[in-house]
Amino acid sequence: MLDGLTLQRRQHPSRRLTFGSYAGGLAAGLGLSAVLLLIAGVPPDSMVDDLFTQVFVDPGGLAQTVTLAIPLVLVGLSSAIAMRIRFWNIGMEGQLWLGAIGAAGCAIHDIGAAPLRLPLMLLAAAASGALWIAIPLVLRLRLRVSEMVVSLLLSSIAFLLLQHLLFGGWRDPANSFPVSPPFDPVEQLGLLGFGNVHTGLILAVAAVVFTAILVDRTRLGFQATAIGLNPLAARAAGLPVAATTIAMVLLSGALSGLAGGVIVAGTEHRLTQFIGMNATFSGIVIAFVARFKPAGVLVAAFAVAGIYNAGNTLKVFYALSDGIVVLIQSVVLLSLLVAQFFAAYRIDRVRGVTA
Amino acid sequence: MIDRAGVAAPVLSMRGICKRFDDRLVLDHAGLEVAAGEVHALLGENGAGKSTLMNILTGVYTADTGDIHVGGARAAIRGPRDARAAGIGMVHQHFRLVDRFTVTENILLAADGQIGLRRASEAAAALAVTSAELGFAVDPTARIADLSVAERQRVEICRVLLLGARIVVLDEPTAVLTDREATSLLAAIRRLADAGRSVVLITHKLREVAGHSDRVTIMRQGKTVSASLDAKGLNADDLARRMVGEITPPERRAVVSAPGPDRLIATDLTVARPDGGVGIDGVSLRVRAGEILGVAGIGGNGQQQLADAVTGLAAVTRGSVSIDGTTVLPGGVAARRALGLRVIPSDRMASGLIGDLDVADNLALTRVARGRYGVAWLQRGRMRQDAAEAIADHGIAGATPTRKTRLLSGGNAQKLLLARELADGVAVLVAHSPTRGLDVKACAFVQQLIRRAVDGGAACLLISEDLEEVLALSDRIAVMSRGRIVGECTAGSSARDVGALMLD
Repeated sequence: MLDGLTLQRRQHPSRRLTFGSYAGGLAAGLGLSAVLLLIAGVPPDSMVDDLFTQVFVDPGGLAQTVTLAIPLVLVGLSSAIAMRIRFWNIGMEGQLWLGAIGAAGCAIHDIGAAPLRLPLMLLAAAASGALWIAIPLVLRLRLRVSEMVVSLLLSSIAFLLLQHLLFGGWRDPANSFPVSPPFDPVEQLGLLGFGNVHTGLILAVAAVVFTAILVDRTRLGFQATAIGLNPLAARAAGLPVAATTIAMVLLSGALSGLAGGVIVAGTEHRLTQFIGMNATFSGIVIAFVARFKPAGVLVAAFAVAGIYNAGNTLKVFYALSDGIVVLIQSVVLLSLLVAQFFAAYRIDRVRGVTA
Repeated sequence: MIDRAGVAAPVLSMRGICKRFDDRLVLDHAGLEVAAGEVHALLGENGAGKSTLMNILTGVYTADTGDIHVGGARAAIRGPRDARAAGIGMVHQHFRLVDRFTVTENILLAADGQIGLRRASEAAAALAVTSAELGFAVDPTARIADLSVAERQRVEICRVLLLGARIVVLDEPTAVLTDREATSLLAAIRRLADAGRSVVLITHKLREVAGHSDRVTIMRQGKTVSASLDAKGLNADDLARRMVGEITPPERRAVVSAPGPDRLIATDLTVARPDGGVGIDGVSLRVRAGEILGVAGIGGNGQQQLADAVTGLAAVTRGSVSIDGTTVLPGGVAARRALGLRVIPSDRMASGLIGDLDVADNLALTRVARGRYGVAWLQRGRMRQDAAEAIADHGIAGATPTRKTRLLSGGNAQKLLLARELADGVAVLVAHSPTRGLDVKACAFVQQLIRRAVDGGAACLLISEDLEEVLALSDRIAVMSRGRIVGECTAGSSARDVGALMLD
């Protein structure tokens, strides 16, 4: 049936076409999601209200979405930075755990003077994330071990480390759940006066600006792009492949670590077991939809946060399972990726085929 | 015994085969006739059309025009299945075996339910018979990954025979073998022919043509230039002349500057190939300022490894390289480029340019590496401005600083590459097949730029499988075969002299 059809890469995809296919993909994804939700038992008349108004328009809901978006921006950037240099970081969740542990460690042990505590916590978070990604990085550079396997498995190890701390030395004696003691006010990110939105938002936006400049305007970013697109040509041109890879990959780990730090210092105010946010999956989704562009990450993270937020509503009001929420996220993502594909390729019928 | 002079009616006859890829005529009324029970050598330079002709025979391509007769009847070969049904099998240079499967499993996979080859026991028994006929020992339970190259080749040959091939095509089978292995293979090939099968032996080696073939067909530029010559009584000179044609001696440039001091010295360079075969083995050469040293040879005789060893892309197991007296081993590409090494790679889009980057980015690539557009901050404006100048200077058609490089034609992409590599401070230029795939005009332009760089004092190592190009450009010519420099000729040597060395 597919005989005689070929895929042609579009030479100059126009802006209108690109935008149009994105919009079409999004519409198709949302349409399919609506059908899934109907099947799952969500009444049609309240769907728009639950899925859109409550998430993006209503002030309380919007604040919730923005708060959720803050760490998602950071993990999205983390994935985008690693992907630019074709380093498959699929252990962002592990780096996020380590970041949370690093920040919580500073807070619990009261490291540094009070005014410096918060910056130290965030620094520790970033450093811990970078440390965690350094393991797959070294193994890949030295022994050519696939970073995919190592970074993924290290996520599980990070989670076990977290549990070890929460059930052991860092457990709050005053709490029957395995959580750390709450942080002091000086160890918490301040609120911005809009729901639970905290100063981590400024940090996230700053990270977007920083990575955007890094990627587009600096020598390091240029080298990373070249290496990602054609490592052999980059090496043959004399680009410092190893140094550039190290810098970008450590940055990726640091961003995921920072996400962990922002979650514990900004919203949880203590270390708990439930802050992972499915970071690996979310980060990859956001980075791909944003086509690895930092500014795009900002938008995509906001959208994904909206889906999470809506998912929480659905879970509470209609007793839907986590599975449905993940399914809807996946449907929207797949639709967007298919749209991206058709923006870049055209299907043609081969002319003059003879038997 | 079958008459080896080929009086017997041909078992295979290909006539008037034409094949066009896009605008290029790769086969121009080519033909081949093979008798039953003979070993027929097929000889020709790279790009002469041997592989295309054999790919048509085995159903990989279909011919635009022409007839194929097998056993006297017209055979319509539209795909690999038809070729197999017609009793035609081919052993490719790159084996088509599943590494993780055993020998028997590979045969079962290829047999695809053929009667008599449906069970492992059947396949193992049939393999035992066939391998014994050929004088091979093949362990049916061995995994392919554990076999040597020679052993894998034996499996390939047995497989082709088990699938019923009466006509067996072997593509440069001895290129990957040691001398002893080659001798044993050639003996097996003779046994095949003696048993009544026909063998087409694609080869570059004179020894195999003269000593182990019955007849020889020579191709050049898509045409069959000598059909079914008796292999006995042919000498190297004769074959080389027929293979490369009469190349008119190139015009020498008017001013022959006296070469200066040594700029590039390579001593005893040895590089292993990833598959364990010989890459280059003890290559020593020196190139002086103002001089082009041409390295001629049939493709796949170590040219890529030589280029990679000199430019710093390949790990060198032994030997040294120095540029202007500075030893650059160990050391990567960047250190060599800082000393003035410039490179025109054989595949410009694989290791020279980055197709998905803008033209300006590609022009700036090596200078960014050296920090010329800023240590941390990138001077994008200056990059674009320099790019606009380079595009104008070199007449790179279809290029703007912000256009994607992959959209350029081959000739213009090559101009872009040269504009970058020859822009400044060229001490040593390694040019590997710099005009491959270019039209006449672009060729001339590229050669002129290389010449100009050399006249400006650079030393050029020109590695090319295009003998005509080597003869036209070089001041001295080294000939490479099986990873070694087998001889050196002076400028003005005839194609025949160089060609004879290439066939060694």
